[in-house]
Amino acid sequence: MIPVELYIGLAAIIFSIGLYGFMTQRSGIRMLMCVELMLNSANLNLVAFSSYNADLTGQVFALYSIALAACEAAIGFAILMAIFRMKDTINLDTFNVLRW
Amino acid sequence: MAIGDLAFLIPLLPALAFVLTFFLGKKLPNGGAIIPIAAITISFVISLLITMNLLQNPEEVINQSYSWFAILNIGVLVDPLAAVMLTMVSLVSLLIHIYSVGYMSHDRSQSRYFAETALFTASMLGLALSDNILQLFICWELVGVCSYLLIGFWYEKPSASSAAKKAFLTTRVGDVMFLAGIVILFSDLFRIFNGTIPDGVYILRFDEIFTHIPEIAAMNANILGMEVSHITIITLLFFGGAIGKSGQFPLHVWLPDAMEGPTTVSALIHAATMVTAGVYLVARTFPMFMAAPSSLLVVAYLGAFTAIFAATMGIVMNDLKRVLAYSTISQLGYMMLGLGVGAAIGAEAVGISIFHLINHAFFKALLFLCAGSVIHAVGTHDMRQLGGVAKVMPITAVTMIIAAFSLAGFGIPDTIFGFSGFFSKDPIIESAYLFGSSSGMWIPYLLSITAALLTSLYIFRLVFMTFFGKPRTDYGGHESPASMTVPLSILALLALVAGALTRTTFYEFVSETFVNDFVQMDIPALADIGGYHLASHAGHEPMLILWMPLIVAVAGLLVSYLIYGLKVVNMDSLVSRNNPVYKLLYNRYYQNAIYTDFLSVKVIYEGFAFAGHAIDRGFDWTVNWISDLMIESGEALRQFQTGVIQTYATAVIAGVGLLIVLIKVVMEVI
Amino acid sequence: MLPILSLIVLIPLLFAALTLFTKTKEQARVMALVATVAVLVLTLYMYINFDSTIADNQFEEIYQWVPSLGINYHLGVDGIGMPLILLNAIVLPFLILFTWNDDRKAPNRFYALILATEGAVIGVFAALDFFLFYIFWELTLIPLFFMVSIWGGPGKHHAAIKFFIYTHIASLVMLLGIFGLYFSAWEMTGTPSLDIPALLSQFQFIGSGVMKDLIFLALLFGFIVKIPVFPFHSWQPDAYTEAPTAGSVLFVMLKIGGYGIFKVILPLLPFTASPNLMITIMAALGAVSIIYGAFLALAQSDLKRMVAYSSVSHMGYVLLGAAGLVSLSVSGAMFQQFSHGLIMSIMFMACGVINTTAGTRIINDLGGLAQKMPKLAVIMVLTFMASLGLPGLSGFIAEVSVLAGSFVNLPSYVIIALLAIVITAAYHIWALQRAMFGVFNEKLGTIVDINGYQTLSMGIIAILIVYFGWNPSPVLDMMLTNSEQIISLMAVMGV
Repeated sequence: MIPVELYIGLAAIIFSIGLYGFMTQRSGIRMLMCVELMLNSANLNLVAFSSYNADLTGQVFALYSIALAACEAAIGFAILMAIFRMKDTINLDTFNVLRW
Repeated sequence: MAIGDLAFLIPLLPALAFVLTFFLGKKLPNGGAIIPIAAITISFVISLLITMNLLQNPEEVINQSYSWFAILNIGVLVDPLAAVMLTMVSLVSLLIHIYSVGYMSHDRSQSRYFAETALFTASMLGLALSDNILQLFICWELVGVCSYLLIGFWYEKPSASSAAKKAFLTTRVGDVMFLAGIVILFSDLFRIFNGTIPDGVYILRFDEIFTHIPEIAAMNANILGMEVSHITIITLLFFGGAIGKSGQFPLHVWLPDAMEGPTTVSALIHAATMVTAGVYLVARTFPMFMAAPSSLLVVAYLGAFTAIFAATMGIVMNDLKRVLAYSTISQLGYMMLGLGVGAAIGAEAVGISIFHLINHAFFKALLFLCAGSVIHAVGTHDMRQLGGVAKVMPITAVTMIIAAFSLAGFGIPDTIFGFSGFFSKDPIIESAYLFGSSSGMWIPYLLSITAALLTSLYIFRLVFMTFFGKPRTDYGGHESPASMTVPLSILALLALVAGALTRTTFYEFVSETFVNDFVQMDIPALADIGGYHLASHAGHEPMLILWMPLIVAVAGLLVSYLIYGLKVVNMDSLVSRNNPVYKLLYNRYYQNAIYTDFLSVKVIYEGFAFAGHAIDRGFDWTVNWISDLMIESGEALRQFQTGVIQTYATAVIAGVGLLIVLIKVVMEVI
Repeated sequence: MLPILSLIVLIPLLFAALTLFTKTKEQARVMALVATVAVLVLTLYMYINFDSTIADNQFEEIYQWVPSLGINYHLGVDGIGMPLILLNAIVLPFLILFTWNDDRKAPNRFYALILATEGAVIGVFAALDFFLFYIFWELTLIPLFFMVSIWGGPGKHHAAIKFFIYTHIASLVMLLGIFGLYFSAWEMTGTPSLDIPALLSQFQFIGSGVMKDLIFLALLFGFIVKIPVFPFHSWQPDAYTEAPTAGSVLFVMLKIGGYGIFKVILPLLPFTASPNLMITIMAALGAVSIIYGAFLALAQSDLKRMVAYSSVSHMGYVLLGAAGLVSLSVSGAMFQQFSHGLIMSIMFMACGVINTTAGTRIINDLGGLAQKMPKLAVIMVLTFMASLGLPGLSGFIAEVSVLAGSFVNLPSYVIIALLAIVITAAYHIWALQRAMFGVFNEKLGTIVDINGYQTLSMGIIAILIVYFGWNPSPVLDMMLTNSEQIISLMAVMGV
């Protein structure tokens, strides 16, 4: 059996990649993808602990989280498309009307 | 029904007349003058009957008190002092109202005039028959406001509205002192009663006040390190009110300006009645003054000083009415002096002072009405443009000359020959002599006898400049109608004989004011509290002193005849801007510059008010500063909302990191 | 028994809601008049049945509301509140009449706000439960805020926001005081209660002296900002000046600050840890307000602003008289509130008329108006005289009672106040001289005198000023009864 530390390590790496991407990228789609990466790393943790503890709750939560991620992606992309139609770009730095 | 039961009608009828004239006057002929005339006639008749009754039955002093609010009351008190005052006020007011019908016939606001004079008469009568000090103050203020309204009767004239303002505010200074006196008196009595006032006791009623004089005199206040008796403070504050109302130095400045009103108003309010209210107040509260160390001396000195101070200015004025105004101030000074010498002669002082008040009312009203008659006919106040008026207006001239002799005090001592003014002014000067000889303070006497010389000088200057010689300008003119000359003649008769006929009765009558069934004052005992030594008054004066007033009066007549009648002295060198004395007098001792320009405008308005305004801006600024601070801190904090998602993400991560560290630390500690 | 107090409070509020739905000016003003007259009739009925010889609350209504927190729907009125309800009930119908022919935007909302204010203000005077009291207290803010910010003058937004926030902060401090009292009493008795009479009587048993002083000061602060007195007055000149005429009159009717002083502060005063300090604070603020407001009024160039500052000066008498602690001075202070309401409402009406017809309120730009507006001139002279404390008019009764009564305990403060009387006379008379008398200023164009409705409404209030100046007893008697009861509490202080 693969030790649980490896899963956690992998999840941490994926989370860090996602976080790094989220912090550095300016394109809305890429940022959304990075958010997905972070979510998936969390899912990975959930599944890993679930099997480690032989408790299905984690699996259920992972599914739940995937469903949420899907919704979020759908809405996120819809917003980004709206932004693109309005500004001809999805660079979110230009989209700061709600700033001070 | 006793006539005394109708006493309350005396002020009430003119008050009713005010209401009626105010609302209906415009629809009636002559501005509804008939309403106040009728009302005041009834008031006069009642007053006269009451006075007659009181003369025969001195014990029938009328006193009716009704609870007003809290522990204060409204009431009627007719004792000898009030009775003579009521009779004089209603008579003079009646005559002046009749005179006004002719005098004001061309004015479009006649009804307002008659309404206001009716209100004035009501207030003045109410003042005279007040049985408590607060009601006296109320009427005191009401006559003040009537005076304000009537001085500013021709309000579209800036000078008139400005004079009205000046009169109101200057007297207000005195009124505040009077009010302060009442307030202190109230709290003293409140303490004496220990806060629980029995039912039916009205603590500001005169009998209540007088009864407690010894207790008030025993209270002391510490002012600037000096122990001062409360009774001194209270009486001096009352006298402060009297100074304002009666135009005594230093609050006399409003009275000459008050001549901006119609001449009838000057005659009624600013000569005969209202300005004597101050004298009346001091007379009314005389027992308190008697018990107050040094208060009577202040009254005597200030009265004597005012008498001469105003007379000096009277000499140089060229305006007919202003000369009379200064004369009024000067004569009021005599009345105050008459009261002040009570320090030597006791309650008799009230008699002689009020006698002068009454006589003065007649002859001064007469002087003003004659002046009004002249002004009405020729249309100018300036004596330099007049001259020889006696030829066109004989009745006016004769009555005016009678009044002038009365004012100057012509009469032969120890006989019944003399004008009214003589019989009232002489005793004052003689009492001042007595005061000097008993206390060693001669200044009041010297000032008053010198003022008598000046009085004669300025009034005959006026007579010669106006009525004799050749007309200096082409003024036309005609004798006034009967409605004006009849009151003149009645007043002239009074100025001629009233003094001679009533003098001894009068002194005795009025001196009884404080000994009857309303109050029983022991004046010598009070004088002991006040530390005054009463002298016996029985004509021990040397012959020269008795004749002195007549001598100076004749001297004044002669001097003015020489200067203004025969013109033996050329006045041009004296009457010029280069003569510093003339300039000082003509500019009225620069009191306008001091009071109006400096004190009112510079100190009060530009100094205090603007400083206050600046301070208030400061408060406003503080409030606005706090709100600005809030807004600015919001401005600063909103900078964190950059709109860049990565910034928010960084903050979230930093927050999560911090949380982890914190939890770790907390766990470690636990 | 008719729930008369509830009706008096609820009729204006209900009609305010109904008036919102009217379409035209004609409908709105009729609605407003009907409501205010109904209140007047009910109030007069209540006044006739009011027993002015007892100091207790009368016409009480009490229903449970939230028992777990001790909140009741408790209404009642005593000799402190009754005259003030009467004042509101009398003035408001005439205020509606005064505005009868005015044209303004959204008349339905305008009249609705007037009615809402009336209901809320009377509610404060009738409430005997702190919860209800506070609700009505805050409710007065909202209509007045909109009144100023919609129909006000050039600086209306600034003035409205300043008024709202300033007095709201004060209300919150007052709320803290109420909480302090409520929880302390709860802790002590074990049962929660927000009942005003109950809490006032329990105050003396609170253990901690510091707590007592804090509660007292918090309540005092809340009330004196509303009165307002120096140095917390700076919202008032702005709000009074920028408000439309009706708004200014409503501000004048807002006597809730002074009411709080008599109803809440004075009964607590003797039981605080340091009553003498509290009396000094109140007396000093009162005396300073009197003279400070007078000087400020003298410095103003705008007639309405002058009147607003004169109001600061007059309200100083309320605090000074309250601190005087003699039944005459306390009742005089109460009467000052009543009389000031009558006098100031005409003053502001006159300012409004002058502003409308002459197009300016700057005193020096006016001049000689008396020639063109004789009716207004008569009413204005009378009112100005009343405002400067002329005997025979209602202001004098109040002033002389306060001065004479307070001198017994607070001589030096009364002397300060006396000094202000000359200044008070000066600004009134000077303003009259410059605005009404003298030569008519031709630049002002056509000037028309006040119309019939305005004459009627101002005239009747003016007659009341004269009436109460000669016969104050109809309202002063009940005030005296209540102030004697308050003074009897002071026995514990040994005064």
